[in-house]
Parts: sequence; structure tokens; C-alpha cells
Amino acid sequence: MRQPAMPIRSPFESSIAKPGQGTVVLSLLPPNNPTLTTLTYKYPLKLVPRTGGFVPSPESTSLSDSCPSRPVHLYLLTYGGGLLPGDHIEVSIKLEPRTRMVVTTPQGSTKIFKTDSNSSDNSPNVIKGHRKQMPANPHLSDMSQQSLDVKIGRQSALCYLPDPSVPFQNSRYAQVQTFTVDAAAKGDQRSSLCVLDWVTQGRTSRGENWNFRFWRGRNEVWAVDEKTGKSRLLLRDSVILDDETDDLNDSDESDREDLPPQAPSGLLPLNIIQERTRPHGVVGTLILSGPVFESLGSYLLNQFTSQPRIGSRNWSSSETSSAPESSASTRGDVTWTAARVRAGFVLVKFGAKDFETAKLWLGGLLREEGTVAREFGEEALFCV
Amino acid sequence: MLLEPSDIQSEIAQLESRLQDMRAQLDASTYPSPPSSHPDTKIPWTMPSSSAFYNNKFRADAVRSSSLHALLLLSDSALPLGSFAYSSGLESYLAHHKPQRTNPVTSFHRFLKLSIASLASTSLPYVLAGYRAPETLETLDNDLDASTPCIVAQRASVAQGRALIGVWERAFRVSFALPTGTDAGADVAVSAIDEFSDALKTTYDNQDELGPMGHFAPLWGVVCRAMGLDLHQTAYIFVLNHAKAVLSAAVRASVMGPYQAQNILASQTLQDTIMSRIEREWETEVEQAGQVVPALDLWVGRHELLYSRIFNS
Repeated sequence: MRQPAMPIRSPFESSIAKPGQGTVVLSLLPPNNPTLTTLTYKYPLKLVPRTGGFVPSPESTSLSDSCPSRPVHLYLLTYGGGLLPGDHIEVSIKLEPRTRMVVTTPQGSTKIFKTDSNSSDNSPNVIKGHRKQMPANPHLSDMSQQSLDVKIGRQSALCYLPDPSVPFQNSRYAQVQTFTVDAAAKGDQRSSLCVLDWVTQGRTSRGENWNFRFWRGRNEVWAVDEKTGKSRLLLRDSVILDDETDDLNDSDESDREDLPPQAPSGLLPLNIIQERTRPHGVVGTLILSGPVFESLGSYLLNQFTSQPRIGSRNWSSSETSSAPESSASTRGDVTWTAARVRAGFVLVKFGAKDFETAKLWLGGLLREEGTVAREFGEEALFCV
Repeated sequence: MLLEPSDIQSEIAQLESRLQDMRAQLDASTYPSPPSSHPDTKIPWTMPSSSAFYNNKFRADAVRSSSLHALLLLSDSALPLGSFAYSSGLESYLAHHKPQRTNPVTSFHRFLKLSIASLASTSLPYVLAGYRAPETLETLDNDLDASTPCIVAQRASVAQGRALIGVWERAFRVSFALPTGTDAGADVAVSAIDEFSDALKTTYDNQDELGPMGHFAPLWGVVCRAMGLDLHQTAYIFVLNHAKAVLSAAVRASVMGPYQAQNILASQTLQDTIMSRIEREWETEVEQAGQVVPALDLWVGRHELLYSRIFNS
């Protein structure tokens, strides 16, 4: 039998088999030249690098013993600006020692679409065909999933300030973001990270108000010792917004309501997610760690503790002498808390009435403090 | 369209808030008074069978085998864990809702429900895991510490956890750390607590090293295992004790009177809530545990900002 001829390998062929997967390795080539030694991705994921935009001045850095390398900007995109049911995005990024990376999602929001399994035409205008057909079981298969796995070497830093996730009505989404730092690194050698994760109530213009079925965001930071192979969980932030309509025993949940679609909010009893997020229209978490973000963390803690006391009375007769005004932390309807939890992590949790308010507040704080723009360039703040 | 004058918006917000209030009040008014003898069909663990129940003979072995004694010890509000010092965010919640809220009881019902749901989704998996695998206590403790988002909650959990170790060592250990022969896990649990307690004492001063903390939830699971409770009892008591603590805090924060608090505590609604939350998290692995009430994290974290406080959390 004749062997089939070996097909000529396409130079454009991706080395990754599964759709939605992507791999990035950022290395520092001598003398001080950050280079993406690996960059692969497959539809519907798209990873676009941009280098050479911003050069931090040497004296501005908090790492005194070595000049920081230029940050490499990576755009994380999906076709259609979001995820369809059944999409599974899997991004793996490795930052080798002394590199810096900025990751943003320049699409305004990460939309979590819901397609009806029998009529997929009401889905957004995206290229179909490549995406998998949904299997029959609606409970597990129509979940959109995204996993991000970032290994941050010693003295390297990640700045990941993405757009919020906007889950559409009836959508289901689960996201796991894992960040691994070098356990052996101490002091200024430690890895740094700044990670934002936020979710909104949906498309407010269409009256959506936490009407999705399921949204889960889990962020974990692990310390791994390369020599011993031991790993330890440093931080886990996990938020689960579940309307709990998938329970089999529907009978004994008194507070569940079957909301008709497009029901005007406020006139019907709240669904479970609305009840649990009220009065916020967006909730989120900011995680900071490492020497690069040390001053930003302290600044946020300061801002938090200097908020006016709740329930205090202004005994002075004149209104003007009250609490410090127009600082970014008191602007707008943002309820937030900041804490230095273990291992030097600063964890900020916030809730705001809408996306714009949260964006203004967070962008204001980050710009006022200045670390992000100074170390990573203004484009790192693109989404906030 | 979107640019209405702000005062109209605030008016709408107030009306909506009031609507929610009234609706919640309506819900609350349907709290049934506890039936004098309700059928126990929902309780998964076996109570003494009905024949034993009505039989006039006293059966000491039945009482003994049901681990009733340990159950009552652990559910006692006089158990010196210092739970009275914590309101689990209630105080902060009330402070955040002062302006809009007219009826504190209605508002409290909402809080209790959210608080139980949150406890069940964040801490209960650790209780269950501690009971099922006592030997993993130190890992569970580390992972729960990593998952606790604010120092207010962390302080409360650690203080009660360490108090529980104290009670175990000084009071319960003598009577309960005997080889039972029936449950090998109980012996594992006893040695797990001993080891953990030693580790806790040796690394007490070293704050940077991420040593053992002594969080309440996994320890509760392990101690209940050591004392011979079954898993259902362990979970139920854990959530019920939380509800008791929140209700007790509500009484002391002048939200309601003690009779009203007992009324809620005894109500079928509360029992059903606890049951359904436990059932929901029964199979949840600790990796999947997470906050289902994001707003609660904010209230607890902002407890530090209160101008005046009567509780530690």
C-alpha cells in the first residue's frame, strides 16, 4: 500500500489543536529585550501583542537594583466581543523573570451571550460555523467558560485591568483565573500582580438587571516552589451569582420567581441574584500584590480608612467643615472596602450603582495614585 | 431618557426601596408559628423510632447512641466561644440601611436569609470537609484563610476557632478523646486537633510565615467528628448556631425583642432555609466554595468604618 503523501505543513497552522486555546510566553532576551517567544491562539480567541509603546523611565521604578524591562501589551480578544454558550477560552501566559505584561480587553465589555438552543439566530452578529454545536444537555453545555492561567516569575509583574463581564439575560458563565508566583522569591524579588475582576447586571439599556442564570468568577493566587514542587494557596477570591433555578427540588424555595423575560425591574419581586447584590449594579474585586504595587496598595488602604465614619454626626453648625471633600473615594455611589489580607495582598471589593460610576471611581483612584500609568503606561488603564 | 433630573431618580429609588420593604414585610408576616408537633419527615437523621418514642420504658442506650449529650453541649449558647461578640455584619448592615429603612425587622429578615446563604456557601464546605477528612485540617485552615476576603471576618473566625480549640483541650478532650471503636475517623480527628494545636502554639508569633491560623469552620467539623456527632448534625448545628448568634445580636442591637427572636428561631421557615442551604452545599468541594452574597463582604469589611460599634464584626 502506498503511504499517503505527507501534506505540506501550513506555515500559518497553529500548533494548538483545540479552539479557544492560547499560549503566550514572554521572555527577557539579553541585554534587556522583552520578547514573546511563544504566541499561539485559536478561534474564537485572539491575542494581539503590542510592544514598544511605553518605556518606563529608570528612576521611576520601585525596583532599584535593576532597570525594569519594557512592558509588553497583550490584547485579549474574542470574536463578537464576548463568549457564546459552549465557548471555552483557555489562555496560558508565562512571564519569565524580570518581564512585565499589560493585559487588557479592548472591547468595552466581555459579553456573555445566551443563544437559544433551537433558534440561534437571535445571537449577535458573529461568525458561526467554527464554533461547536451545542450538545443536548442544556445545563452544562450552554455554559461559557474562560480560564486564564498566568505564571509570574520573580521580579516580573502583571497588570490585568480588563473590561467588566456583562452577562446577558439567561446566560451562564464560569471563569477561573489562576496566578502562580515564585514562592522562593523574597522582598523586592517577588512577583507583582494587579488583577481586576468585575461583573455588571447586564445590558441596562435593555432593562436587564441581574437576569442571567449563573456567573461565577474565581481568582486564585498560588505560590509554587520550583525546587520542591510544593504549592500553596495564597489567595482565593470566589464569587458565585446563581439564580438557583437549576435545583431539582424546586418546591421548597419560597423566594424563587420565574421572571418573564424583559420584565420591568422593580415591579416584580426580586430574583435571588438581585436580592443578593442590591443595591449594586456592578460588583468587583481588585487584587494587588508584590513590590511594584506596594504603594498603590497602601494608597488604597489609606483612602479606605480615611472615608467618613458611617453614622457619625456633624456636630459643627457649618456644613463646610465636614469630611474631606471631592476625594476620589467619596465620589459617586460606590460602596467599597480595602484590606491588607495575608501574604501582603491588598484586596479591594466594591459595589457601585452602575458600570460608569465604578469605572470613574476606580479609574480616578488608579490615576490619582499613578503607579499603573508610571510603570505600565496610560494604555494599561484603557478599560478603566 | 436616561438623563432624568437626579431628584426624580432618588425619588424612584426611595419608592422602590419602600416597595421592597413592604413586600419583604408581607413575606415576613407569613412566618408560621411553629406547629406543636410537626412531622419530622425532612430531618434526614433518624430520631428515635416512633415505637421507642411512645414507649414508656427508658432506654439509656438509645440516648447514648444518638450522641445527644455532645449535640447539646455544642449547641449551647453558653459554650465559651465568644460568639456573642460578633454580629456577622448585622451591625454594619443596619448602619448602611438606616436612612431608607423604616422597619428594622423587615430589614433584618432579609439580612438573616442572606447571612445564612453566605455562610453556607463560604464556610459550610469547610465544615463538611473537616468532618469528612480530619487529617487535612491544616490545609483546610490555610485555604479558608486564603479565601477570607477581609480582616474583620478573619478576626472573628480565628478568635472563635481558637476558642473552640481551647474548650476542646480544657473541657471536652478528657471525656471524648477515648478510642470509640465505632468510628476510626474520630480518633484521626482527635490526633488532628492535637497536631494542629501544637502547630498553632509553635508558630503563634511568626506572622509572616503563613502558619496555621485556627479558623472556625474546619475546626468545627473536626471537633464534631471527634465528639461523635454525625455529619448531618454537624452541619445543622453549625448553621443553626450562626442563626442564633445573628438573632442574639439583633436583640442586643435593639432590632427586636427576645420573644420575637425566639419566634423566628423556632419557625419552620428558618428550619427550611437552613435545610435547603445545607442540602445545596452538601456536595460542594472547598475549591468550589465562594461568596454568593457579594454585598455581605462589603458590609462586613466596612464594619471598621462605623462611628460607633458594639460588636467585633
